[in-house]
Amino acid sequence: MNLDLTAEEQAFRDEASTWLAENLPTEERPPEGAEMRAFDLAWQRTLFDGGWAGINWPVEYGGRGLSDIQQMIWYEEFAKADPPFTLNNSCTFVGNNHGGPTLILKGSDEQKAEHLPKILKGEAVWCQGFSEPGAGSDLASLNTKAVVDGDELVVTGQKTWTSYAHVADLQELLVRTDSDAPKHKGISWVICDMRSPGIEVREIETMSHVTDFCEVFYDEVRIPLTNVVGEINDGWRVAMSTLSFERGTAFMADQVELAATVERLIAEARERTSADGRRPAIEDEDIAKRLSMARAEVTALRAMTIAGISRTARTGIPGPEGSMIRLFHGELHQRIYRLAMDIVGAEALRLTPVDGEGVWTGPYLQSFAYTIGGGTTDIQRNIVGERVLGLPRQ
Amino acid sequence: MDLLPTEEQLEIIGTVKAQLESDFSLNDLAERDGRDQVIDDTLWQRCAELGWFALGIPEEDGGVGYSLVEEALLFEEVGAHATPGPFLATILAAHVAADCGESELLGQILSGERRVALAEPEDGNQYRLTDHGGADLALAISGSRAAILDLAGVEITPELSLDPLVPLGTASIDSDPLCAVDDPSISLRASVLVAAELAGIARATAEQSTEYGKDREQFGRPVGSFQALKHRCADMAVRADAAVNLTRLAALSVVAGHDDAEFQSEAARVLATQAALENTTWNVQNHGGIGFTWEHTAHRYVTRAQFRARTAGTPRDHRAALLGASAT
Repeated sequence: MNLDLTAEEQAFRDEASTWLAENLPTEERPPEGAEMRAFDLAWQRTLFDGGWAGINWPVEYGGRGLSDIQQMIWYEEFAKADPPFTLNNSCTFVGNNHGGPTLILKGSDEQKAEHLPKILKGEAVWCQGFSEPGAGSDLASLNTKAVVDGDELVVTGQKTWTSYAHVADLQELLVRTDSDAPKHKGISWVICDMRSPGIEVREIETMSHVTDFCEVFYDEVRIPLTNVVGEINDGWRVAMSTLSFERGTAFMADQVELAATVERLIAEARERTSADGRRPAIEDEDIAKRLSMARAEVTALRAMTIAGISRTARTGIPGPEGSMIRLFHGELHQRIYRLAMDIVGAEALRLTPVDGEGVWTGPYLQSFAYTIGGGTTDIQRNIVGERVLGLPRQ
Repeated sequence: MDLLPTEEQLEIIGTVKAQLESDFSLNDLAERDGRDQVIDDTLWQRCAELGWFALGIPEEDGGVGYSLVEEALLFEEVGAHATPGPFLATILAAHVAADCGESELLGQILSGERRVALAEPEDGNQYRLTDHGGADLALAISGSRAAILDLAGVEITPELSLDPLVPLGTASIDSDPLCAVDDPSISLRASVLVAAELAGIARATAEQSTEYGKDREQFGRPVGSFQALKHRCADMAVRADAAVNLTRLAALSVVAGHDDAEFQSEAARVLATQAALENTTWNVQNHGGIGFTWEHTAHRYVTRAQFRARTAGTPRDHRAALLGASAT
């Protein structure tokens, strides 16, 4: 047990902080459409050129081959640099955190050579096609059919809750390739070109007014069999490797940013007046108690993340304990923005964007997604109960 | 950076666990419920021989030469086994004696020859005492000020204790302290060690509920297969994991002398308090009728958590300290 940074890690921290001071964009991120895509990809390219793309990806795939600790240091320095946008709120998220890592683990040499450089350089946007109208928490019951026809798969069906589908080039897509096999055994993980004929993307309005949420329809979409990642019908296992990443390090950036959010909220509570109008909000007993708990909890989140990294460093892959962090983080994120609503007074009724400086109500509405996306907290509790604690399945 | 115990630390944890399970079984200790001395001298001296009180004392002062990190690992197990005894007062007093250069007194505390009660100031010279049976010394702590008091000739009024294994009393103590320090490292140590004990309580009750969920059958299947219980066990495990890891982080931060040591220690104390109070409560509920009986150990964690939540400061004190601490 130690908190020491190696000389290399310390040098990395200094390097990151210097680079960010010089290269962090000062303009806010455009909230939608082609401008948003262009902004996100340009930032990814800037990261790549600076040597900050794929920090913990292996060197042979264009990454820097550094440790998860260094990845965390990067996120910490990014949050400290007071950026005008949040790191994971980007259409490059799926490529960097799902698609890319899955190809590294399970992809063929050709697939890696084709796609990994483009993800790192900001030349391709990926989206995720997992959930369906009839397959949410019970993801393995997914029903989008793929029939082998020569050297192609022909895909027909529907996916939903697909962020950034409307600006994506590629999709990590789960399809049913064997309807007779048990439900987990007949699924394949394929790379789908979003420009293929037969694909229709429709945007879904959300409660937070964020416009990147979509559903995707497939009408006999032809995908080359060479786009299957891993073995055909083995897609469930491939998907689980992606999800273990999502529950491991993918949300580290959010967690680091959340700690900065609590500090900003404490500053707000010092400046704003309490509900009774007589004192600073921070002197309100209820507000003080909740702020104090929030501070303790984001600090604990960091400790859990470091413990998770320590465990991964010994075992090689993130374990199901990542679900504990996801569960804790999702609910904490929501609690903190709900607390913000009680601190900001009358401003709680003015709608703000989700991203940007000094905004609270937009992020509050968006925080409802944190206990649903990537597996609801109810599913996370099942995973913790069954896979971490060993309780019997229902 | 690494938050998992080393091989050597795992060995310490293993030894402590084995000893607590054999010598401090709650079923055996139940016979001593309500006594003013729960841990007899032989048992206390055995702990001393194992070096538990000396873990964080430097070797040149006659200690083992580890640090607060290893002390916190000991306290996590003390909490997990709901082990009674003046561990906190003893270890803090050893550090106070070492700081004051009172080597004879230090030696007597480390050997278990002299026992130290915990004295928490209530009003003026009035103190709330715990674990006073068999003790002729008391460690008084208030913020960064800590003093070793002489209990000789002090009249202690016993009180009926919420926790039958934590003897409780009041006394007024007028005599000058044998030695005293004003040192923030004492309050940091107290915060981390109490946090560690509370984290251990949170961990053990999470484990107790999980085990019950696997063993107990109703409606023809283990009750832990039902989401109502499974989800509560998951929440308890998350709370325990958060408290355990944060406490370890805090201990490391104090030992490294980081600027955020106070912040981390208060965060650990606040979080572990909440985790222990929540988990001990749900643990009774998860066990149903048996959880409400005296025979079952679930209630012992409830009352111990309530005691420790108010040991060396109240939850409110610590929340205020956390909100006032510098995060960087």
